[in-house]
Parts: sequence; C-alpha cells; structure tokens
Amino acid sequence: MSTSSPERDALQHKSALVVGVGGLGCPVALALAEAGLGRIVLCDDDLVDSTNLHRQILFDEADVGTDKLQAAERALYRLGARPGSIELVRSRFLPDNARELARSVDVVIEGADNFATKFLCADACFLEQRPVVHGAAVRLCATVLCVAATGAPCYRCLFEDLPTGAAAPNCAEAGVLGPVVGFAGALMADRALSVLLGEQSVFGNLVRFDGKTDRARELTLTARPRCALCSSERSIATISYDRYTAASCAA
Amino acid sequence: MATVRIPTPLRTLTGGEDQVQAAGDTVKDVIETLEKNHPGIRERLLDEKGVRRFVNIYVGDEDIRFLDGLATALKATDEISIVPAIAGG
Repeated sequence: MSTSSPERDALQHKSALVVGVGGLGCPVALALAEAGLGRIVLCDDDLVDSTNLHRQILFDEADVGTDKLQAAERALYRLGARPGSIELVRSRFLPDNARELARSVDVVIEGADNFATKFLCADACFLEQRPVVHGAAVRLCATVLCVAATGAPCYRCLFEDLPTGAAAPNCAEAGVLGPVVGFAGALMADRALSVLLGEQSVFGNLVRFDGKTDRARELTLTARPRCALCSSERSIATISYDRYTAASCAA
Repeated sequence: MATVRIPTPLRTLTGGEDQVQAAGDTVKDVIETLEKNHPGIRERLLDEKGVRRFVNIYVGDEDIRFLDGLATALKATDEISIVPAIAGG
C-alpha cells in the first residue's frame, strides 16, 4: 500500500483494538500504524521484560521495566503512526470491559497468551457483532483465524470451550520462536486490514504455520450446528466471569 | 497407510517428527496405531467422550465431526491433520 492510496484514505477512518501488546500484538500494531489506521486501541497492563525483547519488536533494552503501553506508543509514533491515532487502555481484556471495548472499534485483533481471554474475545465480539482476528503462536507453530461480525464459523466452532485442568496443554515452558510470532502477527494484521477494507473471503479460514517446515496450510471451517455461541441453539447470551476461569497457558 | 501430520505441541511424543505413517481403516484405528508407536499420544487426543474438545482432527480438508467422527473410514492415501488449540504469542 503506498503512502497515498484509496485504501490508506479509507483506513484513516477505521479503528482496531489490539488485545495484548506482546509477541503478536507488537507486529500487529506496527503494521496497522504503518498502514495509516485512524485509531489503534492498545489493551495491556504489563511491563516490558527482558525475555520479551526477542519477539516483542516495539521494545528495546531501554524499555525493560517500563510500562508496555507507553513504550509501544512511543515506538509507534516514532515509526510513523498517524498523530493522535494511538489510544491506551491500561487493563487486561476482562469480562467487565470486554463488550465495551469490542463495541468501540471496527475490528478486534487478539494475540492473547491464554485461553480464557481468547474465548472472552470470541464471545464479546459475537455479542457486539464485531469481526475478530484470533492469533496464537507456541514454539514453532502459529494459527490465525478470522471470524466475521456475524460469527459462524466462530472460535467456539473450532475449539468448543476452555481446556480444563490437567487437560490444558502445558505451554508455560514451551516458549515461542521470534520469526514464527512475526509471521503470525503480520498475517493477523493483513487479515484485519482486509476486513476493514471490506474483504469477505478471509472469514472462516484457519491458517496454520509450521516454523519447522516453513509451510502454511489453510483449512476452511464449518460452523458447528449446535455451537454455544453462533448457532441458532446458542446458549451464550451474556458475558459472565465463571465462563473464563480455566487454567491459563502463558508462553 | 495414512499420513498423519503432527502439530508442534505433540512432536515431543513422535521424536520430533512432523509427519508419520499409521495403519488403520478408520481414524480410531489410526489413533490406536499412533499410540502403539508413540505412547501417550492417544491421551492428548481423546478423552472418555471421544475427541477432546480443544482438538480437531481433519481427514484432508474435512473435519471428522462432520464425517463419521472416529469411525470415519480412511483410504491409504488419506492425510490426517491434528489441530489442537494453542495460546501464546
């Protein structure tokens, strides 16, 4: 996209929420800023850690120990974000604020490091009729799924509910490779920009990237007939805390 | 024999292999073969009710939930993909 184009002109009137300014959120935010998005809402409450630096590309050594949001904001403006386009929400994406945050933007992009937030994003975005881009990366593997504002197929069509207790995949010690995260973040941003520009073909396709073979595969999802979120038999009509209390899975 | 693509989270059980061959007439048979060759993998895929709800299994591009589930019949040239939920970044 050139610095002056119909797409860039359209994007200056669009907005996105980036849930988590980590390994995925950093390249997402950077790509959105450089595409000229009019409003980028960053949601996080963490500090920059030295272990983040290999993959959280908005931060450097000087930022270690400082507020992630402020460090990200500085970097984004330095790298070309539109003046006044960065908005900071110093909080986790929680049941208390999820629907309001989703409602306030045109697209939600989540690179959360835990299943509870991923399912919360899915639910809030469906209830607020907002498209959402889900991304995840662990070790050498990444996945990206784009869900339409109307849902169907949604994240819960693919993974019904939070993994519980002993069944939760143990990725606390797994780590993640920087370039794999970078690939996934770039694809998430690409999908989000496509959504904002009116592209429909990106919805419902799960992209899986294997960092060992450097191959990406795409699967077209089918909506689950009895999906608790997006089907005619849905049972999820509100956001309640007790639905998002399974084990977290931070990489 | 079917080709089974092994996702990153399960490769510790397959000696790092991202793709293995497994005999079986159905998806369930293939999982049993996988278990014989790579102990522990069945528990990661199945619970007492069937396929774990945060795991998806595809034959080609088809989710087995929309075929015959674990009883889905296989051809020798079929490719099975295992897609577990992951969270991290």
